[in-house]
Amino acid sequence: MARVVFNNVRKEFVDEKKGTFTAVENSEFVIEDKEFVVFVGPSGCGKTTSLRMIAGLERQTSGDIIIGDRIVNDLHPKDRDIAMVFQDYALYPHMTIRENLSFGLKNLKKSKAEIEQQVKQASSILGLDELLERKPRELSGGQRQRVAVGRAIVRNPQVFLFDEPLSNLDAKLRIQMRVELAELHKRLGATIVYVTHDQVEAMTLGERIVVMSNGIIQQIAPPTELYNKPNNMFVAGFIGSPAMNFMDATIENGKAFVEGAQIALPQAVADGLKSYEGKKIIVGIRPEHLYGEEFAHTVSKEHTMDVTVQVIENLGADNLLYFKVGSRMVTARVHPETIARLGERKRLVIDISKLHFFDPETTQRIALS
Amino acid sequence: MQLATAKPKPTPPAYRRFLRDYGWAYLFILAPVLLFLVFTLYPVISAFIMSFQKYNIMKSKWIGFDNYTYMFQDDIFWKSIKNTVIFTLATVPINIIITFILAFFIFQMKSRWQTFFKATLYLPSVASGVTISLVWLAMFDPTSSGLLNTFLGWFGIDPVIWLGQSKTALFSLILMSYLGSHGSGIILYLAAMGGIPKSLYEAADIDHASGWTQFTKITWPLLKPTTLYLLVTGVITSFQVFISVYMMTQGGPNFATTTIAYLIYESAFVFYDFGLASAQSFVLAAFIIIVSVVQFKFFSSDVEY
Amino acid sequence: MQQKSKVVLVGVATFVLLIWALITIIPLYWMIIGSFQDSAASASFNPRFIPDSWSIAPYERFFNKTNAFRWLFNSLFVSGVLTVTNVFLASLAGYAFAKLKFPGNKSVFWILLSTMMIPSQVTLIPLYVLIINIFSLGDTYTAIILPSLVTVGNIFLMKQYMSSLPTSLIHAARIDACSEFGIFYKIILPIAKPGLAVLAIFTFVAQWNEFFWPLLVTRSSSMRTIQVGLASFKFAESTDYGAIMAGATVGALPMIILFFALQKYFLQGITVGAVKG
Ligand SMILES: Nc1ncnc2c1ncn2[C@@H]1O[C@H](COP(=O)(O)OP(=O)(O)O)[C@@H](O)[C@H]1O
Ligand SMILES: [Mg+2]
Repeated sequence: MARVVFNNVRKEFVDEKKGTFTAVENSEFVIEDKEFVVFVGPSGCGKTTSLRMIAGLERQTSGDIIIGDRIVNDLHPKDRDIAMVFQDYALYPHMTIRENLSFGLKNLKKSKAEIEQQVKQASSILGLDELLERKPRELSGGQRQRVAVGRAIVRNPQVFLFDEPLSNLDAKLRIQMRVELAELHKRLGATIVYVTHDQVEAMTLGERIVVMSNGIIQQIAPPTELYNKPNNMFVAGFIGSPAMNFMDATIENGKAFVEGAQIALPQAVADGLKSYEGKKIIVGIRPEHLYGEEFAHTVSKEHTMDVTVQVIENLGADNLLYFKVGSRMVTARVHPETIARLGERKRLVIDISKLHFFDPETTQRIALS
Repeated sequence: MQLATAKPKPTPPAYRRFLRDYGWAYLFILAPVLLFLVFTLYPVISAFIMSFQKYNIMKSKWIGFDNYTYMFQDDIFWKSIKNTVIFTLATVPINIIITFILAFFIFQMKSRWQTFFKATLYLPSVASGVTISLVWLAMFDPTSSGLLNTFLGWFGIDPVIWLGQSKTALFSLILMSYLGSHGSGIILYLAAMGGIPKSLYEAADIDHASGWTQFTKITWPLLKPTTLYLLVTGVITSFQVFISVYMMTQGGPNFATTTIAYLIYESAFVFYDFGLASAQSFVLAAFIIIVSVVQFKFFSSDVEY
Repeated sequence: MQQKSKVVLVGVATFVLLIWALITIIPLYWMIIGSFQDSAASASFNPRFIPDSWSIAPYERFFNKTNAFRWLFNSLFVSGVLTVTNVFLASLAGYAFAKLKFPGNKSVFWILLSTMMIPSQVTLIPLYVLIINIFSLGDTYTAIILPSLVTVGNIFLMKQYMSSLPTSLIHAARIDACSEFGIFYKIILPIAKPGLAVLAIFTFVAQWNEFFWPLLVTRSSSMRTIQVGLASFKFAESTDYGAIMAGATVGALPMIILFFALQKYFLQGITVGAVKG
């Protein structure tokens, strides 16, 4: 039973040049036992620092960290019942794979038989049997990655910590390993905290996702909720690819006026936006929720906007149309057979049920209870 | 947010945590720090005190600035400064030029020949100052059958009393420095030359820049840190030139080769005037610290462009 | 056009380099060749460049008149001990300065480093008083060894080198329940081997060639190192050039052999920790 809890945790670094620099600010969350939680955010936002604090490799400046039912603030990494997989794998280059796997157990003074048994089990789970007597440099990137995971497994920890474990693999291998990691989680039944800057990885792996930016947690939610109800413009723009479009709009008489379109809002939405009557707001719509007129079978064709197409990208499965609304570039992801020509007008259908509204001052989502 | 109900674990006392977190690190640097305190810091302070004393093992006497006034009124002290400066000015720049030319030439070679020349030119650096001095002492044999005099004889030049006369003694030491090993400097230059991206020269070729322009605009500026490094280490080493003087001329004849480092040795361990020697050593230290600090300024402005 | 000037350049370069290589090698060649010709009879040292007869008489005289075997042993012993202590202590401290966090890390390092500017002449006299008069260690191995157990220069080199090793290995080992000394001993030392080898070689050569400090603190012939012994032999027998060259050869040959055996380390090692760029 191992939850991981941050109580108001904060981490400052003192840097000679930059002075005091806050890498993680007032971080609060509860990761439940056996949960797979992914931390995601742009590079430098404090993900690794958060993970290292869980591991005990960095000490938080203030706040409490709880693993299981213990406050672990003063515990050494080895006493926290965690294991970590590093971005560069951090395999000991002078040891064989077997020695790499058993190093931690030896340090814990486990019996020879137990070490042997654990190594055997881990290596068969990960298919490392053939590689045990080799040195890390004789292994391919994918194999090293497996060994790094194996080194964590043999310890049989309550919590696994992964720091961008797939970022050094090529695209194909990354997808394969992603699937394997998901399976591994089911099989091991342990708590997993996983850090990545790749939102696709986050969406596919995480049961819940923690989105961070500039050391601050922006939202903690399951993938679908993150996608459907992003807390603020940062999360909305970060999750999903291509990113969500933002358009400046004004609300008048229950209608949102955007350049090139006037969107009549359903009553419920209009009610929710009452307090913004006559004011500016930001309307968000994902590229996949804009349709070429002729392929808008699944949505009502009631709400449309006319745009001048500036760029067309053919991705095979879809086409991306780029156009301008006001000063902002907007993307639509449409059926590949949609008829659109460069520089010509095109009518797009808006899926009105998928609109998001944000306050331009606070960038927060406007709740439409 | 649901706060965890965790067993409060008593935090260990602050000093225990401090020791646990940093104890090892302090242990790792303990030996060097102790050695530093006993064998560097204490001696520097002690030398400073000595320089104001008539030093005696049993009972030293305070004499204020007497050592310094004596030193500055001493002709031999000024002569040693002059000799040291002449030696430094005559050797360091020319040695750097020699080093650079040799490195530049080696750089043009195929890699097998590069290794060969690097090794050959480096080899004499592994021989000690004593060995090198002994060999050169023999080569400077003043009779007509000495090696260097034989060489001069081929050109009809009369034998030179290399080390035995004031006129040529210091020059002989300088000559020896020119013909010594430039191996480590060559290797540093070669490493730096290898680090210059080829694309810079290719771009210059496209712009039809001449070989000379490429040299002055690309090669030389990018090698500046190495040159500066060699300049500073060269100056510091030649300020302290000692073994060749000790072995070959004992500072003579008529103080023609008395360098500041040799003078300090003589004051301290020939005349056992530790106070005076300390005062003299601080003059040398001042020279070297000034050079080092100037270097540091140069370097830091160079590295953080 | 470009091609032609390149050929000329390579030609000139080869010519100059061959000449200069000759000039650089001649003293050592001459020393060795001279040490195998008996010129004791003549007043001046005048060996033939291509000897017509060989003699080991200079070596016999050198070894008969001196304690040379003892000197060689002393040099070997002192350099060996100092190599071990320098490699161990410098890598340990260099590792701490490069990779461990502790209050005072930067300032202690900078204080150590800044003392490299102080020339040895300043500290030598008080050091002499300390070792000879206060500790009464004159004429012992301890006296020769003690002040050089670890040098700041070596700590600096090791700090530079250790900084380039991946920190994640240290973190991994820490999570793997390895003690802090264990991390240094079982992880860092093995992966730092190339750097340690370079440090060991340069320390050994430097200590073998060290002259002034052993000269100051040794008195009896049996405590001299080979360098100090050679100097004393030269001042005692200033006319027997043949024997002096034999001695010089004996002193230098171990380093020359070491150089040929470990050429790669010598030639690559110089750039460790020197200027970047
Ligand atoms: N040891 C350190 N000293 C100073 N600053 C650090 C240190 N480690 C991380 N930082 C800074 O903290 C911020 C967050 O870093 P990190 O957690 O590694 O980001 P990421 O989300 O990319 O993993 C970065 O701006 C980084 O520069
Ligand atoms: Mg990171």
